[in-house]
Amino acid sequence: MNLLRKILHSRLFMVWGITLVVIIIGLAITLVLIAHSKRTRILDAPPKLPDTPNTTDILPPPEQVNIFLLNPTSLEITPVQVELRLYSEPTERLKQIVSALVQETLPNYRNPIPRGTLLNEAYIDSQKTAYLDFSHHLADGHIGGTTAELLTVSAILKTIFDAFPNEIIHVQILIDGKEKKTLAGHLNLSQPLRF
Amino acid sequence: MTKTRNNFNMWFPPFKSLSIFLFILILISVTHGIAQAPTVRFVDGEGETLAEVEFKLHQEIVYLPVETLKTAFDPEMTHEYHRPRKQLILKTKGKELRLRMGNTTVNIDSGKQTFTLPAPPLAIEGQPMLPIHFFRKILAHLDDVEVLYNPNLQRIRIMPKTAWALDVSDDTREWTIIIDPGHGGEGDLGCKSQNGLHEKDIVLAAAKEIKKLSEQHQLSIHLTRDQDTEKTLIQRVQTANREQGRLFLSLHCNASFSPNHKGMRLYINNPNGQPRFRTSEMPRFGKKRLNILNQANYLKQSKNFANVLQKELNFLAENPIVITEFPIITLSDVSMPAVLLELGYLSNIDDAKQLSNPDHISELAVAIIRAIQIYSASVNQPSKSNGFSERKPSDTN
Ligand SMILES: [Zn+2]
Repeated sequence: MNLLRKILHSRLFMVWGITLVVIIIGLAITLVLIAHSKRTRILDAPPKLPDTPNTTDILPPPEQVNIFLLNPTSLEITPVQVELRLYSEPTERLKQIVSALVQETLPNYRNPIPRGTLLNEAYIDSQKTAYLDFSHHLADGHIGGTTAELLTVSAILKTIFDAFPNEIIHVQILIDGKEKKTLAGHLNLSQPLRF
Repeated sequence: MTKTRNNFNMWFPPFKSLSIFLFILILISVTHGIAQAPTVRFVDGEGETLAEVEFKLHQEIVYLPVETLKTAFDPEMTHEYHRPRKQLILKTKGKELRLRMGNTTVNIDSGKQTFTLPAPPLAIEGQPMLPIHFFRKILAHLDDVEVLYNPNLQRIRIMPKTAWALDVSDDTREWTIIIDPGHGGEGDLGCKSQNGLHEKDIVLAAAKEIKKLSEQHQLSIHLTRDQDTEKTLIQRVQTANREQGRLFLSLHCNASFSPNHKGMRLYINNPNGQPRFRTSEMPRFGKKRLNILNQANYLKQSKNFANVLQKELNFLAENPIVITEFPIITLSDVSMPAVLLELGYLSNIDDAKQLSNPDHISELAVAIIRAIQIYSASVNQPSKSNGFSERKPSDTN
């Protein structure tokens, strides 16, 4: 018993004990910091980008792009700047921009693309014609009327021609992979369009 | 010299003269505002003012004094008003009309004809007043006139029917006009209003009204559908060609993503409009391109027809009607001058309200029939053997 008391009161025990406590606290702080830094890194990460054939580990930097929406006061299709992380490959870029247009909901503007519309696929041919394949909602969910149909098509065409002034000169709209003569019975979509 | 200028500057420094000018301007605008009571303007067929009459509003209905008939319709009109019996007797154009204040019935020539007005005549401030409906509906039964009313601008156009007897050749009189009420059936309702009005029903009502009116004017009108049935574009074109139509008018109602879009619109099929078709040398869409050229042959005539429609329909519009050109599927395969008319926006509350009013629909029909007559009379008609189909495609650009 005396021996045990001697050990506990010895200077050696004190030194080792304090050192151990300091090490444990230091380790705990380090672990907490690592965990915290990981979490912030996750939060700061940009939204997941669609899979691409030539995906690289480096994310593209954000760019300013014009999306064309209806200004309900001026009644014109007007450009609205949005920030997107765009790939350089034109087809991927086209998909990203059109998908952004389809989903855009800005408070002071009306999006002339019917709700629920998705871009199935997009590609650009050698004659600089962009083919955009939309889900059936673009036609089935359309409110009708010549003006509304013109606004829908104008928003798509203006957004594309603004983003691709040299790469695209015509746009062919497809619905679920097929050519459709018209969206709501007025505007002729049987051929590629341009402005 | 210097002294005079100094004197002038002392009395009329620049800011002072500016403030005097502003004061006068404000005074004019204020007094003008006070003097300007709401009026209804009556115009003739050429747009010349016949009378400008102050009106009273009673339960949102426009009321005009009886004397208006004298200034705007018949200078020889006489009237007697029996105050205790609240009875009004009008003598005009060789007819006697009996009306009672608060009663909607109009009795002509002791019961030979009776009409019911949507609102009764009223004694306002002791004076007998007639509701706007009287002018809109009854005048055409008293004389050979057509009446158009624009409630947005408070204008009434009284046109003599005799002006319609235009100098047209017998051949033109035999023209068949194709009226195409858009959409139809359960599968294609067209656009719709917030209160449940469907485009397919409004355009059918308008087409039937045009057909009904055309019978009074010996005009041959054929409808691509006269019932609530679904018709494909091909069926519509086939009907137009089978009937050997000389003019094609497609009727639609408009819609927009903004409730602020309003008014009528006219459209012409032009593959080189905005947006335009790809201009390609390749005969990729061989058959389709041929059809487009077919319609393109009539681009000039279609524009002329649209211009006449615009002029006649402008009277019923709040703002001048715009003509737009772009590739229109409805007109692309039609082998005759063709125009698409949007009667108004069902997405706009005012337009939807107007399009649900049968009086407005019949006034649209009056203006359309008049435009058809004016256009067909203006055409230096080629003989049937060398009709429009022989025009060269180069005519179009
Ligand atoms: Zn329509």
